[in-house]
Amino acid sequence: MTAVVLIDTLLLLLVTAAAIVIIEVRSLYASAILTGIYSLLMALVWVNMHSMDVAFTEAAVGGGISTILLIGTLVHVGRDEKPIKKRLHVPALLFTVLTGGALIYGTLDMPRFGDPAAPIHHYRVPEMMAQTVGFVMDLPGKQKAPEGFDRDAYRHYRGLDPERFGDVKIDTVPVDPTDTAWRERSPLRNHGLVLPPVLVEGHHPEGGGDHHLHPADDFNGHVPNSVTSLLAAYRGYDTMFETTVIFTAGVSLILLLRRPRREGYLQRGAVMSDQVILRVVSKLSIPFILIFGFYVITHGELGPGGGFQGGVALACAFILYALVFGRSALYRVVPPPVSDMLIGLGVLIYSGTGAVCMLLGGKFLDYSMLNPQSPGDGESLGMTLVEYGVGITVSMVMLTIFNQLAEERST
Amino acid sequence: MQWNEVVTTVLLALGCVITFSGSYGVLKFPDFYARLHAAGKTDSLAQVLFFVGLVFVTDDILTKIKLVLVAFILLIAAPTATHAITKAAHLDGLRPWTRDSLRGGGQ
Repeated sequence: MTAVVLIDTLLLLLVTAAAIVIIEVRSLYASAILTGIYSLLMALVWVNMHSMDVAFTEAAVGGGISTILLIGTLVHVGRDEKPIKKRLHVPALLFTVLTGGALIYGTLDMPRFGDPAAPIHHYRVPEMMAQTVGFVMDLPGKQKAPEGFDRDAYRHYRGLDPERFGDVKIDTVPVDPTDTAWRERSPLRNHGLVLPPVLVEGHHPEGGGDHHLHPADDFNGHVPNSVTSLLAAYRGYDTMFETTVIFTAGVSLILLLRRPRREGYLQRGAVMSDQVILRVVSKLSIPFILIFGFYVITHGELGPGGGFQGGVALACAFILYALVFGRSALYRVVPPPVSDMLIGLGVLIYSGTGAVCMLLGGKFLDYSMLNPQSPGDGESLGMTLVEYGVGITVSMVMLTIFNQLAEERST
Repeated sequence: MQWNEVVTTVLLALGCVITFSGSYGVLKFPDFYARLHAAGKTDSLAQVLFFVGLVFVTDDILTKIKLVLVAFILLIAAPTATHAITKAAHLDGLRPWTRDSLRGGGQ
């Protein structure tokens, strides 16, 4: 048993224990805190699997903001679960057992944990991974391929798409899942690079952040973080509609919970600003939280992070401000009309970027159109814009949810 | 073993011992405030030991700076959180444990 499997087993056992306790515990406060713990444990599991972006999201959204919002909800619904008579509900039990059995049956067909021959490591992903660490080839103003790099062998190995690269001779090389000698065949093996059926440590070229480019690239070689490449470009529509879901949630909440404006924004309950320690520490940390949020959004293109995580960090700064200095102080900084407008603005930025790409003659969300001279820079610009769109919407929706929950309490 | 690995091992081991003592205190101490006293203090110190310990085994200077920053931020945030929780409990009317509470049938 390797260390990774051992740690994973321990963590997953803890996750299961947390899940059981969440169901069993009477106090809803304990339940809410335990959901946060559950999310943090899951974040550790993701870290253990080297999926930093997922871990980051899980920690920020699951461990951070949803715990805050759950506790905010408890203010309305009370601290303790209502005692109900626990009876055995046979159809429910049957249904649960059947679903669970079907899921377990499904896992029997799944590849073993960390199996290098698993389909995910051979379908599409190697290509994606290789793209972001690919070399510059024959495009002006970009880094040159290293000395002795065999372009033809590389094209051959990669099996370039005939639709897009008609002048390149196409000969697809199928990857045999059971073949572990694939590295020997890779033309990149002498350049410190491998096409990774498995994520191998150090597969990035030295200095990792450089912009590498080659013609078989879905992203014009620009984006060093393959996760962002996938989410913002390859699966751009998906991410756009995820943002729209958040937008819809925010709008629905405003419609359902917001009171008419003429009644004013009530503020009752204790304000913490007379607590010296809290006031000083939050005043000190809020600017840094905001900077961190913007950093995560901007840096999402280059490393783990992005609009969702950064947006949540921004929202946390505002919520901390509201918790310590009161909601009326927050309303002076971000009046509800402004936050409502920003919710829409984020989605507008995302879809607007797509529309601009169409106006410039490309497809929807084809960011390379933004900079025809250097498609890679266009990709980069487009992704950064979209990340900001996501970040604005997410932060403002989270802020609105918090505000609405707090507002109800005041009535 | 390099000298930096020795330093890291010592610091991490110390951090583990302190964290363990904190967890033991959480289980052993009689009431909320005493438990938080055990958890808050040991956590604040142990995380500094962990992060500073890791600084010695990373090659990248940027990572070193980030680790120190995280340690510093947690050093401010963790005691503040403990303070806020304690204050909230106090405002909520939770009385600290005294010897009298034993006679009075506990908290």
